[in-house]
Amino acid sequence: MSVVESNSDFQPTVLAFCCHWCTYSGADLAGLNRMNYPANIRLLRVPCSGRVNPQYVLTAFNKGCDGVLVCGCHPGDCHYVSGNYFAKRRMMAFKRLLEYTGLEPERFQIRWISGSEAGKFRDVVTQVCEEIRALGPLKHSASFEAFAEQGALGTVNALTPANKAEEVVEND
Amino acid sequence: MTDTAPSITREQTARVQTARVQTTRVHTALFAEVTQKLRLRAKELLESGEVVSVIGWEAGRFENQTTPAFITDANKVDRLIFNEYCANTLGKYVLSEKLDGKVAVCVRGCESRGINRMISDNQLKRSEVYLLGLPCPGMVESPEVSHASEPSHAPEASSKLLSKCAFCTHRQPVVFDEYLGTCEATDETLGGLIPKPIDPSERFSDVEELEALSLDERNAYFEKLYNNCIRCYACREVCPCCTCRECFVDQARAGWQGKQNNLEENRFYNLTRVFHIGDRCVECGECERVCPMELPLMKINRKMVKDLTTLFSVPEAGLDSETISPLNTYDVADLEEYL
Amino acid sequence: MQLSKERVDAFLAELNQAVRVYVPARGEAVSSFARYGQGTEPAFDLVNTDMPPKDMLFPQTEKMYRYGLDDEGKPFVDATFDADEVVLFGVRPCDMRSIECMDDVFLTRGFIDEYYETRRQKLTTFALACTAPAPTCFCDSMGLNAGQAPAADVLLKDVGAAWQLAAQSEKGAALLGKYKGFFDESDVQDAGAKNSDSVSCTLKVDMDGVKEKLDQMFDHPLWEDITKKCLTCGTCTYVCPTCYCFDISQSNRMKIGERYRCWDSCMFSVYSEMAGGHNPRADKLSRVRQRFMHKLCFFEDRYGKSLCVGCGRCIQKCPVALDISCLIDDIGAAELAPVALAGEKGAGDGKH
Repeated sequence: MSVVESNSDFQPTVLAFCCHWCTYSGADLAGLNRMNYPANIRLLRVPCSGRVNPQYVLTAFNKGCDGVLVCGCHPGDCHYVSGNYFAKRRMMAFKRLLEYTGLEPERFQIRWISGSEAGKFRDVVTQVCEEIRALGPLKHSASFEAFAEQGALGTVNALTPANKAEEVVEND
Repeated sequence: MTDTAPSITREQTARVQTARVQTTRVHTALFAEVTQKLRLRAKELLESGEVVSVIGWEAGRFENQTTPAFITDANKVDRLIFNEYCANTLGKYVLSEKLDGKVAVCVRGCESRGINRMISDNQLKRSEVYLLGLPCPGMVESPEVSHASEPSHAPEASSKLLSKCAFCTHRQPVVFDEYLGTCEATDETLGGLIPKPIDPSERFSDVEELEALSLDERNAYFEKLYNNCIRCYACREVCPCCTCRECFVDQARAGWQGKQNNLEENRFYNLTRVFHIGDRCVECGECERVCPMELPLMKINRKMVKDLTTLFSVPEAGLDSETISPLNTYDVADLEEYL
Repeated sequence: MQLSKERVDAFLAELNQAVRVYVPARGEAVSSFARYGQGTEPAFDLVNTDMPPKDMLFPQTEKMYRYGLDDEGKPFVDATFDADEVVLFGVRPCDMRSIECMDDVFLTRGFIDEYYETRRQKLTTFALACTAPAPTCFCDSMGLNAGQAPAADVLLKDVGAAWQLAAQSEKGAALLGKYKGFFDESDVQDAGAKNSDSVSCTLKVDMDGVKEKLDQMFDHPLWEDITKKCLTCGTCTYVCPTCYCFDISQSNRMKIGERYRCWDSCMFSVYSEMAGGHNPRADKLSRVRQRFMHKLCFFEDRYGKSLCVGCGRCIQKCPVALDISCLIDDIGAAELAPVALAGEKGAGDGKH
């Protein structure tokens, strides 16, 4: 995927849910081998990919992440035997649902990375971060953006309420 | 926001036009006959003490309007009616009514699938309910009450099939203790009088139309939908799959759901709701019908149903009470997309 | 003074330059008050918009203040608040009455809500007298006159090709004076004039003695009957023009937090849940009872008027047709227990 010129300076925030037994170890191995990968990724260790509640993904986007990656053991390798199989079904349905409702496919990805696949970990993280960098920041509603304006001590609520849609249009 | 996004109404897709139903003489006869039998059986069941309560419908204040009825007194069975305005799906009421004893409930296709759903979710035992199966020709909108316009602009006084009934695949109850229709009142014979149940190939036509749009258009469409949501939670309260004792929305201290009404929180609520029920949805369409903002919620629900159906070849939900819902199980041979 | 219907658009467009004008309009799915312009087609034929105008004064989510750490790491609290001048054009008499009720709540009895007050002072209302009530309207039974809106700044009456304007407050008179170029001084009524002086609703309820009866009906079995079918969703409270219950909460992100006030509903169990987990209205019955008692009894105790204005929105929108007009009939017909002992009717229950 080519990087769009105008977005090359954009530093996305990407959250990666990593299973303790495989992907997190793979990330450790990548570190031991002094592999380079983008610092845009934030790792969040979970006991199993089956622990990743889809609400975590939505919350990540709501809290300002531009992309989410869910990683677990390869099918058949789950420490808990079947956790990643459940996760797979869940994520397959959830990813389709998010794309249907208007999320770019690149922003939510799932990968199986084992404890020995340090190179794959580096490649996946690099690729995901670059794809999201090319997409630019995740769009939020006007009220969300206004909230994020740190330090700008403007009027809290200059807008008269009425419908939210209007607020979005006017501030787009 | 993209102007080209379709409007968020419940208007049907080009392929599934909501039929206008002409109430015929045969129709009227069918409803009269069923109402008669229903009252008779309700009386017998209550008098014999077999059930403590019969759940059905009674007339509302307005013509062409009904409201759920809970009959506990055998002398009041004449309140029960069955006609083409019985829009409410009653299944979920069983959960609160059964606390006093065995309950009889009227079931059509949608109620019976909801009952199966609640049995497989361990909310209900089959022995706790007595199911009175009714033949359903599809229900129609009640024109008087729905919109308050001055008379010249009042909606045309015709009978429009309810959106949820236009997408129904099973009009007849899939489980019952006794059937109160005539034996001829099957899908086939009723099909001659009223719109047939939807052809399975058309079932997801509205989802396919949205899928065909560009990503930006879909985004705009759903943003409009979320922005219009007022989070009254009627869709949750009425759903036979939403039986959690404490909904994530109400877990205030866990803080899943912010109380502010904005795009992000509304999206969070709507997507979580769909995901929680999507693999068990019996497609009764009650969430969409009860929505005071008239949002086309089934267009999200059915997307999930469609994906699970095509990915894991699962049968329609609620046809029996044994099938495990697709997200509660797995198959090592599942499609692999994430290597 | 009259405003020709042909010139309404010109007037509203001009007015919209100076203030924010809101008109009843059909949305894609439901109708509500929407900002004039931006492609909004005013729909003055709507008797009631599906959503009431209460969010003009009491938005579903109102940001109250922000706090956090600024760029230099110093803590700050920012509570500046302001609102825009708003004209609500074409609001119906029942909704004007609902604004009177909200004024009582937010501006009287020793506490003035600054947020509400700011918005209220900057609001000018043009009420439109009803000529043909909807089947679900029952405002005249609730003591209103569908042709009058005493609390409005300007009252509009349909006289055929024009609207008759009457300023009812200084604010209204000043605004009409400012835009007098748009108005004619004539008083002509043509054949198309609609009668708005003696409008009668088709739906009638008898409110005589209902409040007094409710005083003794806290434990009446009637509540059990209506509770059965209630879903305890928040539809009726959110479409109600007078339901004003709210919750205050906050959201935090990084170094900034925001305190906001948002609509809440007495139908939700979390609404009355306390910090320790105790819920005085834990069961469905007590919540359903609370809503109707508040509308028809408690509010009258405190402010001397009914909190139901008879707009009929809950009748239209209730998913299970739990109809407040039927309930009022049922209360009227209900038999009271022979002796109602004072002090045993749950006097401890909160008012809202």
